[in-house]
This record gives sequence, structure tokens and C-alpha cells, in this order.
Amino acid sequence: MDVTSLTIKEQHKMLDSKEISAAELANSYLVRIAEKEPSVKSYIAVTPEAAAKTAEAAQKKIDAGESTPLCGIPLAIKDNICTDGIKTTCASRMLENFIPPYNATVMEKLNAENIVILGKTSMDEFAMGGSTQTSAFKKTRNPYNTERVPGGSSGGSAAAVSANLCTAAIGSDTGGSIRQPSSFCGVTGLKPTYGRVSRYGLVAFASSLDQIGPIAKCAEDCGTILNAIAGYDYHDGTVSKLPVDDYTAKIGMDMKGVKIALPAEFYAQGIDDDVKTAVLSAAQKYKDMGAEIIDCSMPSLKYAVAAYYLISSAEASSNLSRYDGIKYGHRSDVSGNYNDLIIASRSEGFGDEVKRRILLGNYALCSGYYDAYYGKAMALKQKIREEYTQIFEKCDLVLTPTAPTVAYGINENIDDPAKMYQADICTVTVNIASLPAISTTCGYNGDGMPIGMSLIGKMWDEATVIGAADAFEKTFTRTEPKI
Amino acid sequence: MDLEMVKYLAKLGKLSFTDEELEQAVKDMTSIIEIMDTIKEIDITYDPLKDNHNVYLKDLRKDEAMPSLPTDKLLMNAVNSESCFVVPKVVE
Repeated sequence: MDVTSLTIKEQHKMLDSKEISAAELANSYLVRIAEKEPSVKSYIAVTPEAAAKTAEAAQKKIDAGESTPLCGIPLAIKDNICTDGIKTTCASRMLENFIPPYNATVMEKLNAENIVILGKTSMDEFAMGGSTQTSAFKKTRNPYNTERVPGGSSGGSAAAVSANLCTAAIGSDTGGSIRQPSSFCGVTGLKPTYGRVSRYGLVAFASSLDQIGPIAKCAEDCGTILNAIAGYDYHDGTVSKLPVDDYTAKIGMDMKGVKIALPAEFYAQGIDDDVKTAVLSAAQKYKDMGAEIIDCSMPSLKYAVAAYYLISSAEASSNLSRYDGIKYGHRSDVSGNYNDLIIASRSEGFGDEVKRRILLGNYALCSGYYDAYYGKAMALKQKIREEYTQIFEKCDLVLTPTAPTVAYGINENIDDPAKMYQADICTVTVNIASLPAISTTCGYNGDGMPIGMSLIGKMWDEATVIGAADAFEKTFTRTEPKI
Repeated sequence: MDLEMVKYLAKLGKLSFTDEELEQAVKDMTSIIEIMDTIKEIDITYDPLKDNHNVYLKDLRKDEAMPSLPTDKLLMNAVNSESCFVVPKVVE
């Protein structure tokens, strides 16, 4: 049996029953990574030494009968999450040699569960992009077709899960960066409610939108990981003190009477027919299970991409001002004064897309344009939130496509940033409204490329989002990539 | 979006571009701003009183000194560090 294709639950059972040791399980992945990684390019760094060390610690817990659901489970971590003593590059030349002196809170929580760390996964530089082709180090490929992109920005995490190069992975989502690559790579990814998971130690992109979450083979695995990483953190004032639920509690839930809304604008022009057909057929499946399908409308959707890019770029331009080449990060060899050093370090360290976001953020915030752009975007944020509130008065979940298309070719769109931005239309409102959402595979197009659908829930209701995704997954046969 | 505006935005962001890069940046930013301009169609105003910015003001942590990272750890990623952050000469 190939253990690398199993879920967290299945591997946990094998580890607890001593059918396999934590070291043997980790080794199975390291062997597969050695074989498959050259064609997928999902890891910026594989960490066999850390894997061996964490596997040994996990085995001790298992042997002592103190195992937890994630004990001994091999995970990959997106390379914008600080790992004490392990390089965290954000896929940028700026942080090429950055070794964090501390762990992100999610890493502390995962280590407390004795996960096994396999390595750090590739991403778009500073999480800015939807293809993982802006990575300075590994331009990840889609395991279903290596001539296509894996999506992004958590493309390395999604591709690694899809290609069985880890059991599950941790990603981050600012405008769809967990859900869209999960859709493209045929896996399941969850963006939790803003404030459910600590952002301490996540390299900041847009602080009011960023959220860490899991990417896994199924919704239940996402729930198991969220159980471990959710909750209050002294270091992050935006984390809620609300009690942490059991996010696997609704696994096996009855869909009878569950109300699912389909906002018409998400199924309009610009969405590929294959995608529309697959998602609407999933809606029909839910109906067959007893769910009630409701039509609804989100008139502000047409402004969502602009609002998202203005808010996120404004915050990014501010967050990235910390990179001055002095305290950490790339430092230029150019001689000159203090200002010359900062300008040269930033210009050499940041890639093209990051620079574009800084320019856009400065434009949105600069005198004379602030009210017309940033102010209006913030007003739209409130309007989009209100529209979701109205929709959720009549339903439990919202169902949409995760992306307008399936994964596209490696060189498509790369020279057209405006087109790339518009492709985020299906995911950005969730971040703007701080809601939880999951993407899971609902079909494949004629070329065998996965199609993802998103279930969006009410704030803090991850359990229903996960339960409903699981209900669909139980009726759906996933096709593994032939990598 | 013209060349002067891009140069101004680059200056604000402490970025330098070659002439060729500037030319490309003007093209890219022009098409990006076209998308951003769609929000000009809608007449709404931001109400700061309706926004809590996701900060839970009732639950702010106490203002108290906590252990910090040791100096050697804070300096481990600085280039040219000699028990301090070294910067170019700023005073003549």
C-alpha cells in the first residue's frame, strides 16, 4: 500500500496501531519527494533533518500512549510562516537568507501536536499572485499537468498535497491564496474566519485580510488541522477569544433542510462553462441530499476585485516598508548614504509583482487620491459585508465556483497583471467580509483538470462549512494526478 | 497614469527603476488603474463608526513588560552586525 496517498485520519490509525512508525511514514514521503519533486517543484526547502527529529519526538508520544490526531503526521509549511531555525524566504530574494529567530504561533501549536515537518513550500513572492510563477526560487507546476500552473499564492502547498508529497499542508489566504490553488490542484483548502487563527509569525501581506489555514486531501483533514491551530493568541490582538469548536463535529452531517444560496453574479459572464456546469451539478447533488437551493444576488461583486486590490495593496505598501536592508533581509552592496542603501536593497530584493503592488498601494493612499480609491474601497468593504449579512439571513451556506477557469498554461497571463487580478473575482469577497470558506473538487474538465467549488459560511461557522464539504466529498470520486 | 506619477510613486516606495522598467511600469499601472477605476461608478461613503477593524477593544492585553528575544537572536539576520545594527554614516 502506498501510505503517501492516505488521509490524516487513516495515517493516524496506522501510527497508533503501530502498523507504521512515524519515521517510516516520514521516509515514505522523503523517498517520493526525491522522485517527484523535480517535476512538481513544490518545495523551496525539504528538511529531512527536521523531519527525522520531529518524527522521533512523535514516536515517543505514540509509544507513551499520548498521541493526538496530528501526532506523527508529515506536513509541509508555506514559506511565509516563520519556523525557528529554518529559512523562511517568502519566495523572495529579499528574504533569501532569513532564518526566523522564533516560531509563528501556528508552528508552536502544530509542534505541540508533534507533527512531522517535511519542508517549506513555494508560493508567489510575498503571497502576491495566483500562479506561484512570481516565486524567486521554485515556479511550481500543477501535478495534473506540469505544463500548467498550480494556482497561488499557496501553489507549493496545494501541489505538494495533490502529488502526495505531504499528507497535508499549511497555507495562507489573503484573497483566495488557499482556495484557488486547492481548486487548481484538485485538493481541499480552508480559509478560516478572520481572527480564528493567529497571524503572529506569518510574514505580513495585508494584515486585515491575511488568514492562515489548511490544505488537505479532504474536508475532514482540514477540520482536524483547524482544531490544532485555532484559538486566542497573546501575540495577535485580532484573534478572537471565542471558544474553539470541534471543527470535525459536523462530519457526516445530514444535508436535509440546509439552505444553500447561489448568488447569480458568480455564475455570470466570465465563468467558464465547464466550471459553471460542474458547480451547478454539485448544487443539484446537495438538493438530492435534501438541501434547499436558494437564488440570491450580490450586486457589488463587480467592484470586488478593485476594492480588494486597493485595500490589500495599500496595506502591503505599508507592511513592506519594514524591508530596509538593515535589520534583516537583502542588503545591497551599493555604496552611498542611508537612503541610497534602502533604495538599492529594496530595488534589488523585491520582484516585479511586489513592486507593482507597492506602486498601486502608494497610489491608493497618496494625497489627492485617498478618498477616491482607498476610501471608496473601504466603503465597498462595508457594502459587501452588508450584502453577505442579508444573504445569510436566508441561508446557511453560499455556493460559488472557486475560480472562473481551471488551471491555465505556465506562460499564459504572466505578462498581463490586470488579467491575473480579475481572475480573483470568485474568492476576494470572502476575505473582504472576513468569512470562512472551503474549496473542494466538484469535477474535472475534458482535459482532466480539476474544477473547484467554494462553500462560504457564516462567521465562526467553520464546522458547517467543513461538514457540508465532507457530505459532497463522500459522493464524489477523486481522480489522483498521474504524476 | 503617466511617467511622472510612476516616478513619484516609486520615490514614495523607496524603489528605483531603469528607464526600460519605468516604461513597462507605466503600461502595467495604466491597465491596473483601469480596473481600479470601476469603483468610481458607485456612489457610497465609508462609515468608520460601522467598522471595528477586527480589534476586540474590550479584551486588550495588559500593558506590561514581557520577556524579549535575546540580542544575539535579533542580530542573527543583520548583515555587517557587530552587536548592533550597522548603517551607513548619517552624520558628517
